[in-house]
Amino acid sequence: MMNEVNLLTVTAAVFAIMMSGSGQSRTNLLLYAMQTFFIALACLAQAEAKGSPELYTVVIGIIVIKVLTVPYFLSWLANKIEARSDPGAFLPIPLTMHVSILLFALSHFLALGLPLFKGIGSVASDATGAISLLLTGMLFMLTRRFALGQIIGFLTLENGIFLFAVTQTKGMPFIIEMGILLDVLVAVMIGGLFVFRIQKSFEHIDVTQLNGLKE
Amino acid sequence: MNDLVLILSIPIAATLLAIFCPKIAVLSRTVSLALWFYFAILVYLFAPLFASKQAIYLFAGLSADRIAAAFILLTVIISASAITQAGIFFEHELLSENPAENLHVRQFYILAMLFLLSMITVFFCQNLGFLWMSIEATTLLSAGLVYFHRSQNSLEATWKYFIICSVGIALALLGVVLIYASSQYACSEGTLAIPELIRLAGLLNIPLFKLGFIFAFLGFATKSGVFPLHSWLPDAYSEAPAPASAMFSGALLNCALYAIMRLCDICRASGHFAAAFSILLWAGSITVIAAAIFLVHQHGIKRLWAYSSIENAGLMLVAIATGSWSLFLLQAANHSLAKTSLFLLSGNIIQATGTKQLKDIRGVLTFCPVWGVLLALSAFAVTGVPPFGVFISEWLILNELMVMGQFLPVAILLAGLALAFIAVSVHLGQILFGVPKKNFRIFRPTLSSLVPGLLLLGSLVLGFTVTPSLLAVFTP
Repeated sequence: MMNEVNLLTVTAAVFAIMMSGSGQSRTNLLLYAMQTFFIALACLAQAEAKGSPELYTVVIGIIVIKVLTVPYFLSWLANKIEARSDPGAFLPIPLTMHVSILLFALSHFLALGLPLFKGIGSVASDATGAISLLLTGMLFMLTRRFALGQIIGFLTLENGIFLFAVTQTKGMPFIIEMGILLDVLVAVMIGGLFVFRIQKSFEHIDVTQLNGLKE
Repeated sequence: MNDLVLILSIPIAATLLAIFCPKIAVLSRTVSLALWFYFAILVYLFAPLFASKQAIYLFAGLSADRIAAAFILLTVIISASAITQAGIFFEHELLSENPAENLHVRQFYILAMLFLLSMITVFFCQNLGFLWMSIEATTLLSAGLVYFHRSQNSLEATWKYFIICSVGIALALLGVVLIYASSQYACSEGTLAIPELIRLAGLLNIPLFKLGFIFAFLGFATKSGVFPLHSWLPDAYSEAPAPASAMFSGALLNCALYAIMRLCDICRASGHFAAAFSILLWAGSITVIAAAIFLVHQHGIKRLWAYSSIENAGLMLVAIATGSWSLFLLQAANHSLAKTSLFLLSGNIIQATGTKQLKDIRGVLTFCPVWGVLLALSAFAVTGVPPFGVFISEWLILNELMVMGQFLPVAILLAGLALAFIAVSVHLGQILFGVPKKNFRIFRPTLSSLVPGLLLLGSLVLGFTVTPSLLAVFTP
C-alpha cells in the first residue's frame, strides 16, 4: 500500500541512490539537498497527520540547516579546495549505484521484518526508504576517496536515522530533534575545517592515502 | 537550580579565562587551581548523596545518583590532574626547539574545559536522548585536542577519530530511536527518560528493544575502543599531547562505558539481561585478549598505554556484565588513576627524549630515577600487580565470574592479563635500562613527578582500603 509519506521517503532514497552514482562533488551535494528536502516533506506530512506544531519547527530547522546551510557550506568548501571529482575507491562509481539499488531491495525485506507499530498509521514499507538511506550512506562512505565524500556519506546515514525516527515513531521529543540537528551542523563545520586542514597539509583530501600511522 | 549554576560556573569561568587571559603562564596556573577548587565544590555538593540522599536533581532530565556522582568526581580529579600537569608540559613545549604557538596552547585550554563540561554532562543525563547528545559533544569538542601538534600524523589521527566515532555515535542514535520506538508499546507517547524506561521495562516491545540495545552498544563501544572497533584509539591517544591523552584514557573512556551501563539498567529491569550479559561478557573477554596480543608488538610508548586502555575497557565491559555497578566503578577508578599517571609520565619522557619511538627511549632510570621508578610503579599498577587497586578490582571481577560458573571467559581473561603483564614488563625493562640513543633533556624532574606520584598514591590507597562493605554503598 502506498501512501503519501511512503512516496516521499522512497523519493528521498532514490535521490540517495542517484547520488551514489555520481563522483562530482557538486552533483553529490545537490542530490543530497534534494534528498533532504524530500525528508523534510515527509516530516511535514507527518506533522499534518499528527497535528503536532513542534514537528513544523523541526521541518523549518531541517530546511534551513540541512537543505540550505550544510550543502551550501560544503560546496563552497569543495570549490575552495578544488575537490571536484572523486575517483572512487574499492568499487567503480557506476557499480556503486547498482549495489545501492540492491541495498534498496534488501531494505524492503528488512523493513518487512521489523515489528510494526500500529498506533501511528504507518505501513511496513515505510521503513524501506529510511533503511535504504542508511545503507546507501554507509556504502557511499566506503566507496569514496575524498574526505568530503565521507562527510556526505555520514550525512546520508544520519538522514536515514532521522527518517526512521519520523516514520516509525510518533516523533522524538522536540528538544532532542533540535539537539540532533544542532549536533549535525556543528559536526559538519568541524569536519569541514579538518577537510580544509588536510588539503593544506597533505595537498590532497584522499583519505585512502592517509596511512602514515599504519603499523 | 542553584546546584546547576554551581556545576556550570567553574568550567565556564575557566573557558572564559582561557579565551581572555593574556598570559599563558597565568592562565595555566589559574585554570588548574580553579579545577581543584571545582573538585572541592563538587565534593561538598555530593556529600549528602553518600550519607543518605538518593539523588540530586538539577533540571528536567538531569540528575545524579551515587554512582553518577562518583564518576563525576573521578572525571574531575583526572581532568584537574591532567590540566595541572599541562602547565609544566606546555612550559617545556614552549621552550623546545619547535615551540608550539601560544594560540594553540590557548585553544587547548578552551577545548579542554568545554570537553570537561561535556563529560560531566554525560553522567548527569537521565534521558537517552540527552545522553546521546552529550557523548556526541565529547567527540566534537575533543577532536581539536588530538590536533594540538598540527602535524600530518596528528591530522590523520584526528580525522580517523572524528569520522569513526561520528559513524559509531550515529549507530548509537539509531539504537536510541529503536528504544524509543519500543517504548511506544508501553506508554502512548513513548519516552526516552531512563527512570521511566526502567519503570515500564516489562511492557517494552522486546524485539525492538533488543535491536536498539545492540545498535546503541555498538555505537558506545566504538567510542570506548572495544575490539574490533578500536582502530582510531591508539592513533588518537598517541598523537594527542600527553595531558589530553590522560583525559581521553582516564575520563572519556569511562563516559562511553557509563552509557552502556545505563542501557544495562533498562535491560536488567526488562528481565532480558541474559542476552546483554553474553554480548558484554564476550565482547569484553575478546577485547582483553586481543589488546594483550597487540601489546606485544608496539613501537610507540603511548600506543602501548593506549592498547592497555583497550584491555581495561574490555575488563570494564566484563565488570558491567557481572551486573555489579560498584565493581565497574572500582575498576574504572583504579584504571583511571594509574593510567593518567602513566600518560603524564610518558609525556615527560617523550619531551625529554624528543621521540615517541620505544626503540629510542632507553635508560630512563639512569637519567631521571624519579620518573623511572614512578613509571615502573604506574605500569605495574595498571597491569594489576598487588598491592595496587587494579589487582583488587580484577580479582573481584574474576571471582564474580567464577561464582557465576563462567569458566571459559575467566580462562581467556587470565591469559590476556598474563600476556599483557609480560608484554608491558618487557617493554618497560627496555625503557628503564640501557643507554639512550639521543640526549635526554630533563625538565623540572621533581615538580613534574608530583601529580603522577599523587595519582599513584591514590591507586595504592584504593588497593588497601576497598572492602565489600565500602562497595555496597554504590549498590542501589
